[in-house]
Amino acid sequence: MTTEDQNRPEGTTHFGFRTVREEEKASLVRGVFDEVAPKYDLMNDLMSLGVHRLWKDSMIGWLRPRPGMALVDVGGGTGDIAFRFRKRGGGPVVVCDINREMLSVGRDRALNKGIIEGISWVCGDAERLPIPDASMDAYTIAFCLRNVTHIDAALKEARRVLKPGGRFLCLEFSHVTVPGLREVYDRYSFDLLPVLGQVVARNREAYQYLVESIRRFPPQPELAERMRAAGLERVSWRDLSGGIAAIHSGWRL
Amino acid sequence: MSQRSAGPDPKLLEILVCPLTKEPLRFDAERQELISEKAGLAYPIRDGIPIMLVDEARPLDPDSQPMIG
Repeated sequence: MTTEDQNRPEGTTHFGFRTVREEEKASLVRGVFDEVAPKYDLMNDLMSLGVHRLWKDSMIGWLRPRPGMALVDVGGGTGDIAFRFRKRGGGPVVVCDINREMLSVGRDRALNKGIIEGISWVCGDAERLPIPDASMDAYTIAFCLRNVTHIDAALKEARRVLKPGGRFLCLEFSHVTVPGLREVYDRYSFDLLPVLGQVVARNREAYQYLVESIRRFPPQPELAERMRAAGLERVSWRDLSGGIAAIHSGWRL
Repeated sequence: MSQRSAGPDPKLLEILVCPLTKEPLRFDAERQELISEKAGLAYPIRDGIPIMLVDEARPLDPDSQPMIG
């Protein structure tokens, strides 16, 4: 727990820099993504200057898909991770996202790509997955964990659904570790991004939330510690683009 | 494409469990619902996508509260 967490009134959590009641957060987050869903991938390009594509490739590269490897991808409604995993030779994928609009975008994209097999789409909550114990070889979560109300509950669920020997990978915006880059990135994300959100997705508040939620997300070592606390082992991470994003890896052994 | 929108993915239905009890579900094809007897909830399938959210599920016995835990 960070100092900030301890200073919050009981039963509340953060929504960007605002403090909100815990029960409110899920619906606020859902609202953000319902509104931005059609422009979500475009906005990701703007938020990461297009680099999110390479980061996602890195995560799949680190996972090393093989035939028969069963994956649950949480929060990947638009299909970015699932499509890459299949293309690189992975097995069956269940895409589980709390947001129906994002799943619709993903399923339409799959049809447009001619993908009709190997990917299932289900609406579900990262904290209460509708997936059996010890049933998956891999669990991925990309740009989603910081939107979850109880990160530790989601991490425990991840461990629960993994088979012994199964792999956990989380790709998320993280904390810049290169001093010069930090100032530039702060200026870009706080000053420019909400304006881009306004112009491109016509939703400045949604993107203001995204920027703030990134700053609120636990730094690399703290997330690693919380993964260990959830029972994941051999935890490690790789910084991407100087820590603008990071991939955390862990195993259920 | 029409086949996809007609119903949910059968392989997915085999996998899914109740998000509360983690127990297998019964598929009610007529109502397009996934039934969790133990939780007393029916999860709707909309446009072929199972909605496995407790707050969107239909209580089987409207007088009883869903078991949260």
